[in-house]
Amino acid sequence: MAEALLEVKNVKKYFKTPKGMLHAVDDVTFSINKGETLGVVGESGCGKSTTGRVVLRLLEPTAGQILMEGQDIAKLSEGQMRSKRKEMQMIFQDPLASLDPRKTVGQIIEEPLKIHNIISSRAERQKRVLELMEIVGLAQRYYATYPHELDGGRRQRIGIARALSMNPKFIVCDEPVSALDISIQAQILNLLEDLQQEMGLTYMFITHDLSVVHHFSNNIAVMYLGKIIELASSDELFAHPTHPYTQALLSAIPVPKLENRRERIILKGEITSPINLPKACRFASRCLYATKQCFGEEPDLKEIAPGHQVACFLKDKPD
Amino acid sequence: MSERMKNGAASEYALEIENLNVEYHVDKEVVHALNGISLKVKKGETIGLVGETGAGKTTTGLSILRLIPSPPGVVKGTIRVMGEDIGSLSEKQMEAIRGKLVSMIFQDPMTSLNPTKTVNDQIAEVIRLHDKIGKKEAAAKAGDMLEMVGIPRDRGVEFPHQFSGGMKQRVVIAMALACSPEILIADEPTTALDVTIQAQVLDMIRDLKKQYNMSMIMITHDLGIVAEICDTVAIVYAGSIVEYGTLEDIFNRTAHPYTVGLFGSLPNMDDRTQRLKPIQGLMPDPTNLPSGCPFSPRCPRATAECFAKKPELQNIGGEHLVACHLVKEG
Repeated sequence: MAEALLEVKNVKKYFKTPKGMLHAVDDVTFSINKGETLGVVGESGCGKSTTGRVVLRLLEPTAGQILMEGQDIAKLSEGQMRSKRKEMQMIFQDPLASLDPRKTVGQIIEEPLKIHNIISSRAERQKRVLELMEIVGLAQRYYATYPHELDGGRRQRIGIARALSMNPKFIVCDEPVSALDISIQAQILNLLEDLQQEMGLTYMFITHDLSVVHHFSNNIAVMYLGKIIELASSDELFAHPTHPYTQALLSAIPVPKLENRRERIILKGEITSPINLPKACRFASRCLYATKQCFGEEPDLKEIAPGHQVACFLKDKPD
Repeated sequence: MSERMKNGAASEYALEIENLNVEYHVDKEVVHALNGISLKVKKGETIGLVGETGAGKTTTGLSILRLIPSPPGVVKGTIRVMGEDIGSLSEKQMEAIRGKLVSMIFQDPMTSLNPTKTVNDQIAEVIRLHDKIGKKEAAAKAGDMLEMVGIPRDRGVEFPHQFSGGMKQRVVIAMALACSPEILIADEPTTALDVTIQAQVLDMIRDLKKQYNMSMIMITHDLGIVAEICDTVAIVYAGSIVEYGTLEDIFNRTAHPYTVGLFGSLPNMDDRTQRLKPIQGLMPDPTNLPSGCPFSPRCPRATAECFAKKPELQNIGGEHLVACHLVKEG
């Protein structure tokens, strides 16, 4: 059996708002095996990015454990966490907003090496930066250029090189290809795949793009209003989506094919507010099959097949 | 507006574009945004304009409304809306066309709405601009439009910020359809929306299009949306149409290496382990286009001829047009 690199147990992240507590992440539990990818999907506001940030402790969890190789990083002091962060990096959606516009490509990639004092000799550092640039497919001539002079794909490569500079074990990729054109998106996805193979990286891949997540992930967690509502292997989830929300979500993907079109499930309404949630299934108000029970109780994640968990009361809904 | 335009009897096409060229003269450089685009859209037909950032999709849409700022824009070529050459119209005549004969929906609904006016007032404003009716009547019609796009009439008194992204896009669509246009230009109308909301909005656009028998130009980068909504497709690359045909031509008889590359870049939903086949390199700089085929620097099959001479669109069967030296007729 593969070994878990990261285990997240009952993690919550609440935000205080004038209207009440906002349950951004509400009791999520999952684990990611070494060298594998967990895809986290869901729509705007479902808590997927917040989960990514909490896992890296860029946001402090309200409750729960985050075990990185068995060690609970939620309990680490700030100093300990800083050094732990070398192992845990992040790649952001908007490469331009996450790169300092006043620094050159070389300086951006070099910065973490300086901060963590990993390579003190300037010449050695430059050598390492050029090496990283080669790994991510950035030509050496861009060493002294600024991010705004480059296109989106190259900017994203800078972000990846910077994350790799620490030799991380784990990378949270938050919508890393959403801002890119299709042909460039495929280049970056292939790069991330190659890096995973070569360096044994473990990814948490956050996205709203279901065809990308299917291609890229071993396992997929579907989130809705701060909860994981379904968790399964990528193939299992796409073959047997079980939660009514997952079914609707998958059926809504526009498929670039003329044959074998799926029947669409059109959901009514929109995501509700994560503030002052009633004790009920969070999807009940939009669910096509909701019963009285769904409006009165909250379902827990239950295993329905090996490795396939679903949070839904319904048993005899259509497949 | 002439009589001819009103009943549109002059042509079987709602829109004809012939050899459209758009350049922007900025400083000492010339940006070649569109380089000789020609296309025709029949009444009631939906054409998909597909391409990546900077291909010229939006510029094409704006040209049809004559909204290219000049200077720095220089527009050449002919555009006929319901048979009438819009190049010969005065600015005043053009204002009568915008929103009445041709409407456009933009990608970002947040920036297309006025934050200081209630949504009902904004829709009524468009109606009163084109139809000579009273305030009360216009307000009532605006309410009808809201209901048509699935928003309860009584929410018309609210302001845009009180609506979610999907609802705002519905308001924008209601506004675009308020005067029953002949042609709707939809510029990435669902790109900013979540996938379940996108499905709702696409469904609605399709129904309304049928109901109004509109022609539509769907500008998108998403081949999945094209497969669901469009009748014909134009693949745009660096300001030129490189492939044009029916849905079947483009999806099942893909001919141009760029179109092949676009499909290869998409994850295979049936086999997730299949490696993506991206197109190498980047879109050319529009101030410095290659002298031959615009795709030649990225094309895996390019020959000496491709670097030397820009290929013309040629018919390879039915209505399937391809601009490629390597694709022969038949």
